[in-house]
Amino acid sequence: MDPFLTSRIVSDILTGLTNGVIFGMVALSLVLIWRSTGILNFAQGAMPMFATYVGFALLSYHWGYWPCVVACVIAGLLLGGLTERLLVRGLYGKPEINPIVVMVGFLIVLEAVAASIWSSTPRSLPSPFSSFDWHLGGKPLSLSPFTVYEIATALIVMAAVAALFRFTKLGLQLRASALAPEVSRLLGVRVGRLLTLGWMLATVVGVITTILVSGGFFSGLTPQVMDGIFAYGFIAAAIGGLESPVGAIVAGVVLGIVNQFVDDFVNQNAVIIIALVILIVSLMIRPSGVFAKSVQRRV
Amino acid sequence: MITIEDLTVSYGAVQALRNVSFVAETGRITAVLGANGAGKTTLLRTISGLKEPKNGSIRMGELSLVNKRTENIARLGIGHVPEGRGVIGEFTVEENLRLGAMMAKVNLRQGLDEQYAQFPVLGERRKQHAAKLSGGERQMLAMARALIAKPSVLLLDEPSLGLAPLVTAQLMHTIRSLCETSDLTVILVEQNASSALRIAHHAVVLHVGKSVANDTAENVAADENLRQYYLGLVE
Amino acid sequence: MNLAWTRQRLPIAIGAAVVATVLSFVSAATTKEGVALSIAFDVAIACLTALTQVGFKANHPVVARAALTLLGLDVAIFITFFLGSSANFNLATGAAMSIVLLGLSFLTGASGQISLGNGAFMGVGAFVMAIWANHHATTPIFVTLLIAVVCGAVVGLLLGLPATRLRGPYLAGMTLAFAVAFIFILSSFSSWTGGDSGLQLPTQATAPRWLLGLFHAGTAPLTTTTLYLTDVAIVVAGVAFFFMANLFASRVGRSMRLIRDNDVAAELVGISLPRARVVAFIVSSAYAALGGALFTLINNAVSPSTYSFALSVTILSLIVIGGIGTISGALIGGIIYAFSANVITWITTQTGLNPQGNLASQLNGIIFGGLLILTMLFAPHGIAGAVRHLWQRVRSRSLG
Repeated sequence: MDPFLTSRIVSDILTGLTNGVIFGMVALSLVLIWRSTGILNFAQGAMPMFATYVGFALLSYHWGYWPCVVACVIAGLLLGGLTERLLVRGLYGKPEINPIVVMVGFLIVLEAVAASIWSSTPRSLPSPFSSFDWHLGGKPLSLSPFTVYEIATALIVMAAVAALFRFTKLGLQLRASALAPEVSRLLGVRVGRLLTLGWMLATVVGVITTILVSGGFFSGLTPQVMDGIFAYGFIAAAIGGLESPVGAIVAGVVLGIVNQFVDDFVNQNAVIIIALVILIVSLMIRPSGVFAKSVQRRV
Repeated sequence: MITIEDLTVSYGAVQALRNVSFVAETGRITAVLGANGAGKTTLLRTISGLKEPKNGSIRMGELSLVNKRTENIARLGIGHVPEGRGVIGEFTVEENLRLGAMMAKVNLRQGLDEQYAQFPVLGERRKQHAAKLSGGERQMLAMARALIAKPSVLLLDEPSLGLAPLVTAQLMHTIRSLCETSDLTVILVEQNASSALRIAHHAVVLHVGKSVANDTAENVAADENLRQYYLGLVE
Repeated sequence: MNLAWTRQRLPIAIGAAVVATVLSFVSAATTKEGVALSIAFDVAIACLTALTQVGFKANHPVVARAALTLLGLDVAIFITFFLGSSANFNLATGAAMSIVLLGLSFLTGASGQISLGNGAFMGVGAFVMAIWANHHATTPIFVTLLIAVVCGAVVGLLLGLPATRLRGPYLAGMTLAFAVAFIFILSSFSSWTGGDSGLQLPTQATAPRWLLGLFHAGTAPLTTTTLYLTDVAIVVAGVAFFFMANLFASRVGRSMRLIRDNDVAAELVGISLPRARVVAFIVSSAYAALGGALFTLINNAVSPSTYSFALSVTILSLIVIGGIGTISGALIGGIIYAFSANVITWITTQTGLNPQGNLASQLNGIIFGGLLILTMLFAPHGIAGAVRHLWQRVRSRSLG
């Protein structure tokens, strides 16, 4: 095969993979919150964005990159916890449209407040790894230290979440709270606290995602930085099935790669259109029984 | 020991329990009998804090249980096997048991071994998903899950439901021996009055939310007039 | 129709007649040749309204609604004659938006489905209007509007078919994806849609000669395009509201409400769930397209950046605040939209904020988003719902 085509394909796969793990993480957060609380968090991109702004605001106090990252994670924990306690508590068991509207409103408010405090001009974050592609035989490889950092971090996060759920006591309780909240309470499980924890966890995963997305040399932090990514993350979660964490990740990665190919071989406009078509087709193919009705959560 | 005094519980305009009072002694089985809709399940759910009473008191020893959160009541040592067993089908047998052991300060390995000794079938199927168990096996799992936490009070809601007579008899026998060996306070809600009365020390009969009998099991069993209430023959 | 009922309604009827008479006299004073027509028209409406409200409301609700609509239109159009250009422009925009809100109100309230994509459906209507006008400049406005509506309905059908099986979150996400994708779809067909800069209408829409002929030659008001367009928008809105009111009350509307509240029961009764859902989706997208087409008409141009996801969110916010599932909610939302820019400017000046600053430019988002959250948490039925609640409590207190 034509060597240029091969390297182009490899390049697309690598770039697609990099984007795909990001989508996968967003999809994973969405599935986490959906499975534990029956709510689709439309602010899943905006909340971490805000926490990231807060954390990196410390740059002006001469904090380094990694301390700022820690600050972002803490901000994410706080924001996720507060959101669950104050905003979301009242929404369990209400008609489906209520939480959707509230979270969309929250999304708007967060982006507007972030823009009013920090303006919409992209902020560049100091990058611990170079974003310049390595070269192989004189040609750029579509792989840089930064993208390796992205992929590695994403895989570690996903593995950590999987391990948490499968092997730890906490994970067992989280799963139980999602599957059978009332029975869990009868067994002494503090379901309320676990729901809060679920949101905190999902927000932290989002924070890490945002830091990766906006941290490269060629990108920057803006209030809208997670908008498109949320859209693709949602599409991935929907295709993979909102009930399945593994499905979400796989769908995210596949979507990332498909998007890259479309972007390269068709044109930039077609990317979201094709993604939309894939979404519609996959939703039509899957038998409607696969999507469980959202369960009433009473805490 | 559980003391219920003057308990009134309503769902909106409907009164599910009206001025119910009785004492469930430690180390004894108190059967709660009555037809469908008599308020038996409501009673257990209220003790466990899933429903707020309108009036009255529920005490465990000297401690009031009213207005406490369900999970906190459970952590006080009150095990509740709900109607339908509440076994988590997506979990394995062992995961269900682990969940039960979580809140109690018990050694997990020891607890598991004890329950597998008590219910060998569970030991055989420990890695299987609970959804695959038969009705009787699920009942055992639900009980083991409650027992692994070493509760001092056991609330059982219709454990014989859907079980064959032989299995029911074995189950009742198990409940009685557990009660005697562990000094448990057992409140046993049952529609199958005869099997319940056979193992119970004390019995309460509910009819449309009111208590129509509160006596020893022998007396209740002997009283012909009471039979109409728990056999559901009266409007 | 008992006497007590009639007696209750009589003051309203008399009031309406008085108002209409006053209006007709005042309008006579401002026009010359149109006097007779104006008076006759207004008095006729007044009588009709009075009669129908008193006598026929129960038996001929459609006629009663038609009369009420006519009266409302009459008053609204009358007011527009006295407003300045910019106020009329806002009113027209509000009227167009209220049509869109009607559609979403129906979709969400009457059939329980969610759509985050109505901004994109608006865009469909808006661009169809512009594209058609550029290619067939002689088509009468109302025909072009109809074409835009049909196109909106077709797109609604395309998206609605897969949507029927989807539960809330999936439907919301799918419509969100559509809203996000819309701008890119426009870019893909930039030869038709004019790329980033959009399209302009070839000629400014003006009042047709026969209409002008009814009034005193050279009457300044009607020859102003803004006034004419505002009145067109109001009339179209009136018609849209009329249809929607009838739809709500009809068997179709009732079966949709049944689906929303208890879809199992609805299926047992024999209502076809997927079909009803698709119908609701089509209605909502058709209405949105109509609103979008009017937008193009009013602005005389269309630009892709208007029809972003942000617009869909604004639409959702407005109907939530106004009151989901209600007709008055759509009206309230439209009014809010018409004057929100003014209100926000007012707030900015009152609080002394720097109008060029970050906070001021984001005030729109903060206020709308905040209102959205607060309304959904504390008054999920919006202003219309809250008013109805209040009204019921006042009523029950006076009876009890």
